[in-house]
Amino acid sequence: MVPAQYYLLLSAAMFCIGLFGILTRKNALLFLMSVELMLTAGNINFVAFSFQYGNLTGQVFSLFTIALAAAEVAVGIGIILVLYRNFRGVDVTQATTMRW
Amino acid sequence: MAAFDYAPAIALLPFASFVIALFAGRFLPKRGALAGILATAGSLVLSIWMALSVAAGNTYNEALYTFVTAQGINLHLGVLIDPLAALMLIIVSLVALLVHVFSLGYMNDEGEPGLPRYYAGLGLFSASMLGFVIADNLFMAFMFFEMVGLCSWLLIGHWYRDDAPPSAAKKAFLVTRFGDYFFLVGVVAVLATFGSATFAGEESFPGLAETALGEGGADAVSTFGFAPETWFAIVGLLILGGVIGKSAQFPLHTWLPDAMEGPTPVSALIHAATMVAAGVYLVARMYGFYALLPTVLAIIAFVGGFTALFAATMGVVKREIKQVLAYSTISQYGYMMLALGAGGYVAAPFHLMTHAFFKALLFLGAGAVIIAMHHNENMWDMGGLKDRMPVTYWTFLAGSLALAGIFPFAGFWSKDEVLYEALIHGLGSSPLLLGAYAMGLLAVPITAFYTFRMVLLTFHGEPRTDTAENPHGVGWSVKTPLVVLGVLAVTAGFINMLPVQKLLGIEGIDFLHEWLDHGFEGVTAHHYGDLTGYASGYIGGESVTVLLGVVVSLGLALAGAGLAYALYSGSDPDAHTDRLGDAKTVLMNNYYQDEYQVWLADATARVARAADTFDQGIIDGPVNGVSSVSLVSGSRIKRVQTGIVTNYAALLSLGLVALLVVLGLLGGWF
Repeated sequence: MVPAQYYLLLSAAMFCIGLFGILTRKNALLFLMSVELMLTAGNINFVAFSFQYGNLTGQVFSLFTIALAAAEVAVGIGIILVLYRNFRGVDVTQATTMRW
Repeated sequence: MAAFDYAPAIALLPFASFVIALFAGRFLPKRGALAGILATAGSLVLSIWMALSVAAGNTYNEALYTFVTAQGINLHLGVLIDPLAALMLIIVSLVALLVHVFSLGYMNDEGEPGLPRYYAGLGLFSASMLGFVIADNLFMAFMFFEMVGLCSWLLIGHWYRDDAPPSAAKKAFLVTRFGDYFFLVGVVAVLATFGSATFAGEESFPGLAETALGEGGADAVSTFGFAPETWFAIVGLLILGGVIGKSAQFPLHTWLPDAMEGPTPVSALIHAATMVAAGVYLVARMYGFYALLPTVLAIIAFVGGFTALFAATMGVVKREIKQVLAYSTISQYGYMMLALGAGGYVAAPFHLMTHAFFKALLFLGAGAVIIAMHHNENMWDMGGLKDRMPVTYWTFLAGSLALAGIFPFAGFWSKDEVLYEALIHGLGSSPLLLGAYAMGLLAVPITAFYTFRMVLLTFHGEPRTDTAENPHGVGWSVKTPLVVLGVLAVTAGFINMLPVQKLLGIEGIDFLHEWLDHGFEGVTAHHYGDLTGYASGYIGGESVTVLLGVVVSLGLALAGAGLAYALYSGSDPDAHTDRLGDAKTVLMNNYYQDEYQVWLADATARVARAADTFDQGIIDGPVNGVSSVSLVSGSRIKRVQTGIVTNYAALLSLGLVALLVVLGLLGGWF
């Protein structure tokens, strides 16, 4: 059996990759993917601790998170479509008209 | 009592005409004049109904709408109808009605611009004055007093495209406002002292003052550490400030001659019934308070007597017909103040009433002359109008005889009673009153002189210009008010023939005395007579004194009129006032009162500027400073919001890291 800390390392690595993507990329689609990565990192944590303690609640919770992520992608894609329509592109740094 | 339920409508009807003229005036056939005529006619009918109810022995004193009741202070709108108010209501609504009718001829037929604005102003003016008259407390009176001032500003400055009217309007507003400032402080002082500002009833402030001055009553009121007499005198003088401003008494009389820049019907309204009468009416309304204060009464009498004489001398040399009338107004209101100061609570409203009729008549007559002369007001360009406009001439003559105080016209009876009160009370108790009496008496021949100088120059002799040769005709709307007022100027004095009663012993012909002697307890002429404490003194018996007063004042009036006739009755009179030399220059320049007040204003401008600097710097400074700190920091900090999602994500991550580090340090992880 793989000890829990390896799962946690994997999860932390995935979270950091996602965070890195959000901080460096300009493309909104890549943003969406990075957010998915970060969510999945969270799911791995849930599953790992659930396995560690023999409690199914964490695994059930991760199922909900996946459903939530799907919904989030639908909303996100919608936003990206509107972004494309208004700014002729999906570069998030261009959409700054709502600031002060 | 049903009649009194309609009392507020007396003021609300002209207010409705104000609203109608303002918003719908330009669509109406006479530009709002008809609404004004109907409204003031309605007010007149209601006022007469009130007077009939009062005559039947009823009075009315109700609070209608309360603004605030806190800590024993009650601010409310209410209605007080007693004999004095009923008398004044009839005067005001009658004059307002006739002025509206006259305006048809003076404004509509002459094709003046801005008629809806004009009639809206007249309506609001009448409404404010009627509201002032029915006011049951000093606070409400002050509100309407200010509205009267506002309306005078609107109407004097009616022709705002010329230079003079707006500046005259501003002057009238500011000078009277200066007096009203003291009035405002006085109102606050009355509320703080008595907790009540009502004129009549159980908790009326004159009544409370009377109790406070009695044995052991001083604890009921707070007099701020002064003796009650001293404090009441201070309060009385503060309120008197507003009276002096509005009633154009020396030294705040300077606005009134300039106010002649307004349309002539407005001058008639201001002088006869509304603005100027408000001051005298206020003193009469709260006479129970003033009657307790001998010092203040003496000041009122002296200011009044002095103003009567002072203004009359300036009227002698003026060239414009309306200027002569303006100075005569100041002078006549001086008589009313003299009467009030001398304990003549009946004489003052009596003179106010007769003056309202004959002065409205004279102004409207002057308006007719001005229409005829194509808006030339210089009397030296007139002459010979007697045969060309007989209705105006005869009614104007009746008004002039009344103004000069010639038997048996209205002004004779009232002026004689004013002087009689001053004489007997002066002889009986106060030599100061005799001084005021002497000044009032000296003004009598001067009044008669300038009045007949005006009549002779305007109507007699040969026409001195082509315009006077062929004057413009005037219509029924001008003549009707003149005739109504002409009849009143002849007959109004008969309601109070005190000399006849005293000399011939016919009882019961001093109707006004009896009229003002009923009503609320403590608000009657008889009660005021007890309060003033003036003793009456006579020269060789009452009848002899009455006869002496009548003969002297009538003789002086006839002498003044005779002198005017001797000097100006020729076909082409000379400017005899030139013989006065330097004195004429001084009189023409109104004793340099305007220059003196401008100098005073300039001198105090430095104080005003210092106060402004203090206000802007010290008072406003911290407030503005706090707000500008917020503004500047806000405009800097808002730059954080770049609109770029990446930056927000970075800030979020940094924040999370920082939070973790802080928690870690505090929690001892490292």
